[in-house]
Amino acid sequence: MQLKKPIGGSLAAATCGLLGALPAAPVVAQEAPRWEIDSSLLYYGEDGERVTDVSLMVSARRAFDEDRALDLTLTVDSLTGATPSGAVPASTVQTFTTPSGKDSYTVAAGDAPLDDSFLDTRVALSAHWRAPLGESMRWSAGFSASSEYDYLHLGVDGRLERDFNLKNTTAYVGVAYSQDDMDPVGGAPIPLAPMREVGNLSSKAGNDSKDLTDVLVGVTQVLSRRSLLEVSYSYGSSDGYLNDPYKFLSVVDPVSGAPVPGPAGSGLDLYVYESRPDSRTKQSLFAEWRHAFDRDSMAVNFRYMTDDWGIESATVEARYRWNISDRSWLEPQLRWYTQDAADFYRTVLFEGEALPRHASADYRLADLDAWTVGAKYGHRTDHGEFSVRLGYYRQEADATAGVAVGDLAGFDLVPPLTAVIVQFGYKFQL
Amino acid sequence: MGSPCELLVETDSGALAQRLAAYARDEANRVDRKYSRYRPDSVISALNGARGKRRRVDEETARLIEYGAALWRMSEGRFDLTSGVLRQAWNFDEGPVRADPARIPALLARIGWQRVTWEPPFLTLPEGIEIDLGGIGKEYAVDRVADFAAAHTDAPVLVNFGGDLRCTGTPPTNRAWLVGIESLTRAGEAARRIELATGALATSGDTKRHVVIDGVRYGHIFDARTGWPAPDAPRSVTVAADTCSQAGSYSTLAMLRGAGAESFLDAEGISYWILR
Repeated sequence: MQLKKPIGGSLAAATCGLLGALPAAPVVAQEAPRWEIDSSLLYYGEDGERVTDVSLMVSARRAFDEDRALDLTLTVDSLTGATPSGAVPASTVQTFTTPSGKDSYTVAAGDAPLDDSFLDTRVALSAHWRAPLGESMRWSAGFSASSEYDYLHLGVDGRLERDFNLKNTTAYVGVAYSQDDMDPVGGAPIPLAPMREVGNLSSKAGNDSKDLTDVLVGVTQVLSRRSLLEVSYSYGSSDGYLNDPYKFLSVVDPVSGAPVPGPAGSGLDLYVYESRPDSRTKQSLFAEWRHAFDRDSMAVNFRYMTDDWGIESATVEARYRWNISDRSWLEPQLRWYTQDAADFYRTVLFEGEALPRHASADYRLADLDAWTVGAKYGHRTDHGEFSVRLGYYRQEADATAGVAVGDLAGFDLVPPLTAVIVQFGYKFQL
Repeated sequence: MGSPCELLVETDSGALAQRLAAYARDEANRVDRKYSRYRPDSVISALNGARGKRRRVDEETARLIEYGAALWRMSEGRFDLTSGVLRQAWNFDEGPVRADPARIPALLARIGWQRVTWEPPFLTLPEGIEIDLGGIGKEYAVDRVADFAAAHTDAPVLVNFGGDLRCTGTPPTNRAWLVGIESLTRAGEAARRIELATGALATSGDTKRHVVIDGVRYGHIFDARTGWPAPDAPRSVTVAADTCSQAGSYSTLAMLRGAGAESFLDAEGISYWILR
């Protein structure tokens, strides 16, 4: 062939003749990236040698077209430190058997009993696929799995969305089911059974499981060109072994507040393993309002939750994104959380009283308030976007009502908790 | 235009959107009417009915013919404004697709730009030879509408006539228009996604119109020299260029290179996406 040389020049000249002129700006086109990768490294550290969590998260989204995408997320957590066992301080040294039943540890007089055998690595994986269903509907489905040395979670979920009203309204319904198997160190304690001495596993009974079902319905409504409101309701039900196998309660003298002797020959004071109901139903209502200003944007959300354990909680969260420049933004964040105690929450049990059917001294079931104050800074480069988040968390429980007897009056039974959060994030495309 | 046409504009002004949409609609209809081979009152029908007589063409038609003649030269005769008669052997237009290759030799005698006398603005088509601007009319209409939009607003505008498209103005909010190249196997789904910030994209392919003979798939873009589609032509060729006319010409000429489509486009140093 004689014409192997490029035709670009001739074609441009011919096009110029056809259209009169060529556009001033040359074409800029490239294949859209196939993968969006979002990664973060989180440090969460509680004060007073309590829990430290270092968490690495990587999520990848492969978009096939506007509505079709595959999402994969991998999270690896490394938890170290100590967590409150549920027992209260005493004016004497307290001795506890470790969960494995193979060892014991002591807590000095006046100190909050912490279980420092808490150490774990958790690996979690999830995959979701979303696709359109006709013109105005979309569905998604996925699974999640996570594994710890004493815990295995397997879950499936699905969601259906439908647009109405020229896409100004989107309604959705979602369902999730999961099955969690626990194989606690030393076995799952028998509820309200006493802690035994080293080598005696008679209060433990192997492994156990629970299952959870959640249903979510919601609607997203465009209020104006700048505002969006989302409202959703969820119902969740869990059944099975809902105790925390590492939590127990102190049984104390109703007058002196001092520990009472445990099982004969154990050499321990009396601590009984917690006992929660074997089912729980939760309902929650969530609303979020998002608004875009000329340059900035903000979001405020509110969640109300109630369950049949007697817990009622409310969360208010606000974020304001200040777009400092085309490439940089700063987002202050504020969160407030409050909850009432569960009906069966007990800071301690008193000797001589009839043993309640259910009892837990887990501070997470206490009457508590928490605040998170933080800010996230992000900067976009030509290659990706990195971010840094700093947060401060403070939690205070009110767990002294009716239990400040004798020695206990002098102790901080559920000390406040503060934690710092540092998170680095990097998002990029491939 | 025989295919869905759309105009997307990112603006607060309803009036601007209306004005651009009205121009796009009117211009698409005007070009279609003027150059349709199906309309007895079209410029094309008048030229094809001239029975060997020399005809003067209007200035716009002259520009389109001149462009087609340039493509004929650049493609070494593969692209030819007079190849439309091959439709009599390859019917893709309506009803079931059918091919009648036995008719090709006779039809080839009626094809060949070298037999046409083109002395702008005078065109002489020998008897039996017909001209068809269908291969360049749609991209031309896209460019006309895009040029109009560019002259009237800086707002981001995308003109899309049946998958041949061009954008003008500042890039849209998302930094680029996201354009899907339709999958060969899954209708309505994207095999590739292209981010177009400025310029044009055009696609040639046989996903919609093809015929299978003895297990071999034939598309609807014919080499005017043989009367057959080029052997081993890609199923779909998408090209990015400054204008839709250039993008469309590149994609058509690449199809006509058959197995050599990639090396042809590589030599041009342009962005393209081929599905085979």
